[in-house]
Amino acid sequence: MIAREMFEEFKARFGPLIDRADLPSDRRLYVFVDRSAVKYVCQHIFRELDARYVITIGADDRPFSGKFLVAHNFAFDKDHLLCSVLTQLPADDPKIDSITEMVPAASWAEREMRDLVGIEPVGHRYLKRLVLPDGWPENNHPLRKDVPWNAVPVEFDPDREFSFDEPPEGCTVVPFGPFHPTLDEPAHFRLYVEGEMVRGCEYRGFMVHRGIEKLAESVMSYNDIPMLAERICGICGCVHNVAYVQAVEEAAALKPPPRAEYIRTIMLELERLHSHLLWTGLACHILGFDTLFMQSFRIREPIMWIAEKISGNRKTYALCVIGGVRWNITPEVKTELRQTLDKLETEWRAVVSAVSKDRNIQKRTWGVGVADKDLVKEAGLIGPVARAAGVDIDCRRDHPYAAYDRVEFDVITEQGGDVWSRLLVRMKEVFESIRIIRQCLDKMEVGPLQLQISDELPIGRMGLSSVEAPRGESHHFVITGENNRPRRWRVRAPTYQNLQAVPRMIKDQQIADMTISLGSIDPCFSCTDRLETIDLRSGVTRVWSQEELLKLTRAKKV
Amino acid sequence: MSLVSKLEEVLVCLKAGRVTLPYPAQAQPLPENFRGRPIFDATKCIGCAGCANNCPAREILVFDVCQEVRILQYLGRRCTYCGRCADVCPEKAITMSQEFENGTDAIGDLGQRLELFMSTCQRCGRCFKGPSVLEDLKMKGYRSDDLQNERWIYRSRSFLEEDKTVDDIQIELD
Ligand code: SF4
Ligand code: SF4
Repeated sequence: MIAREMFEEFKARFGPLIDRADLPSDRRLYVFVDRSAVKYVCQHIFRELDARYVITIGADDRPFSGKFLVAHNFAFDKDHLLCSVLTQLPADDPKIDSITEMVPAASWAEREMRDLVGIEPVGHRYLKRLVLPDGWPENNHPLRKDVPWNAVPVEFDPDREFSFDEPPEGCTVVPFGPFHPTLDEPAHFRLYVEGEMVRGCEYRGFMVHRGIEKLAESVMSYNDIPMLAERICGICGCVHNVAYVQAVEEAAALKPPPRAEYIRTIMLELERLHSHLLWTGLACHILGFDTLFMQSFRIREPIMWIAEKISGNRKTYALCVIGGVRWNITPEVKTELRQTLDKLETEWRAVVSAVSKDRNIQKRTWGVGVADKDLVKEAGLIGPVARAAGVDIDCRRDHPYAAYDRVEFDVITEQGGDVWSRLLVRMKEVFESIRIIRQCLDKMEVGPLQLQISDELPIGRMGLSSVEAPRGESHHFVITGENNRPRRWRVRAPTYQNLQAVPRMIKDQQIADMTISLGSIDPCFSCTDRLETIDLRSGVTRVWSQEELLKLTRAKKV
Repeated sequence: MSLVSKLEEVLVCLKAGRVTLPYPAQAQPLPENFRGRPIFDATKCIGCAGCANNCPAREILVFDVCQEVRILQYLGRRCTYCGRCADVCPEKAITMSQEFENGTDAIGDLGQRLELFMSTCQRCGRCFKGPSVLEDLKMKGYRSDDLQNERWIYRSRSFLEEDKTVDDIQIELD
């Protein structure tokens, strides 16, 4: 179904409850619905039409329309359609019916919307703070436009401890994190343990908010933001860089030149290659198999070098600006890239052949951390986690961007849904990435790298972009704005959805399997924690007080 | 079965041999277009402030001492070596160098300060033309960033009527 047919179907069903719609292309649909109907429209989309839930966005639109704005984004993967259900809320009554009951995957996004924009999801059963620390005053919502980007409310109490839930009867609490050897970034799981078995857990994360969205919306400009977006994640930075730029380009109806699209595709695939190799290494490391950890990293290194040769940096490619890319792929680099890929392919083949028969790894991963098809649907899981459960989704094919519509590749799926299947999916995807890059190198046409932009970007237009990161779909939503910067920019990193399913993946498992189960979603906490204000590490016994630490880090002369 | 896979794994390791370089005695050579620390050339710079306006990290400050003298200060603190300043510079006064071993215990070490004699008109800002409208100078006329506290400040009335003053990140403030 294309956007128009989908819209006709909505109209036939909900008629007067639909206020207006915007259909910028066959693959995008923005429907504005009445506040009272949001719940039913979302239920219809999610259950009857079997769409995948992507994200909920809250925005403070008061300076422009006098209202608050809420958008629920869904993806119709088979129809290649991204759909946004929008509704406006009056400024004095920012309340909306929660959709979490019908769409469990929306739970975090609604809690976040409540924390940051102050839009109340009515009927949400678990309205605990998600993003803001417990000591943050109730009535201060940092993403509102009347809150300055650098304001810390005077009532803020940085020393207030987190309030945790009571564990169930008969369970002991085992804290996992905020700092744990297998977590490279802070996140806190309180595991409820009965003997050796995990019965449940509570998650407290968002400890490293860096105020990225607020910063972008209030002080940066269109072409500054790609460099900031890249720093959302230390591994899949280029994904965010491209996703942001694509969202703005879509909103402003700009089409980058074809060569730029090929270069974006190549860099994204290089990033996937290094990320998958890194993950395989880390997974082995978590399982205690450091030999393979070392070998994966060795095989990965030439990818970093070639990326450095193309972009000037091994990891932060600083690739895109609005309307194009900054780096060219010269004929010499092209030849070298081909050689690198050939070598990688042979070496990786040897590793895969060894690992796929390795009993030790199999025993540690078979039937561990299972996410079945059901959970994938309910929690909106994406990427290798979904594909390992036999759910055939991949944004590169389903919502093509850059040059993915001009290359051939297979979407790898497995049936087990366990950590082993995820390992297989990732290992095999490496070969597909190599295939994609080779095709791009063949097909890449000569031409300009950047579009000439001669007019300021239009104001108040919306753009969506889904990019398949190594760990799943990265989704960016942009509303263009005044002063050469977006009005609203929302980033949904893949871990944001995948992490929500961890409590169910580890339930009734041995506690020793916790690390690899968590590791198997390839979690990226810095992505998930992006956003707003500085969250503070409370609830940790510390030698240093936070103030002392800040003083130390900020001192001009140490 | 498992023995075979173990042997294969041994083979992978043996084939690779030893690959670690004895860094810092020997370093991996850098590619030509490596983006290291930006180096400013005072003889080429015309003080147009294009770099200062388009640095995503707000690392470059501009202070007009008087009509003729402009100070351009590069802080070198949270610079991400993105190279945007070098991109937009109309005079190619900025080179992304090969310097990357920049660990220091005195945070001011990496800064650079240029004192420029201004001959072009500061009011019209015509010396800087951005690559596209997205980079054009947002602030024309005199600029007085806070050099003391190393903050970037918009204080122009010719642009941004509503938010005339946008502070930069206060991370360096005590
Ligand atoms: S390299 Fe990037 S961050 Fe550093 S001064 Fe230049 S523009 Fe700013
Ligand atoms: S953009 Fe170039 S010429 Fe202009 S102030 Fe910066 S270094 Fe000087």
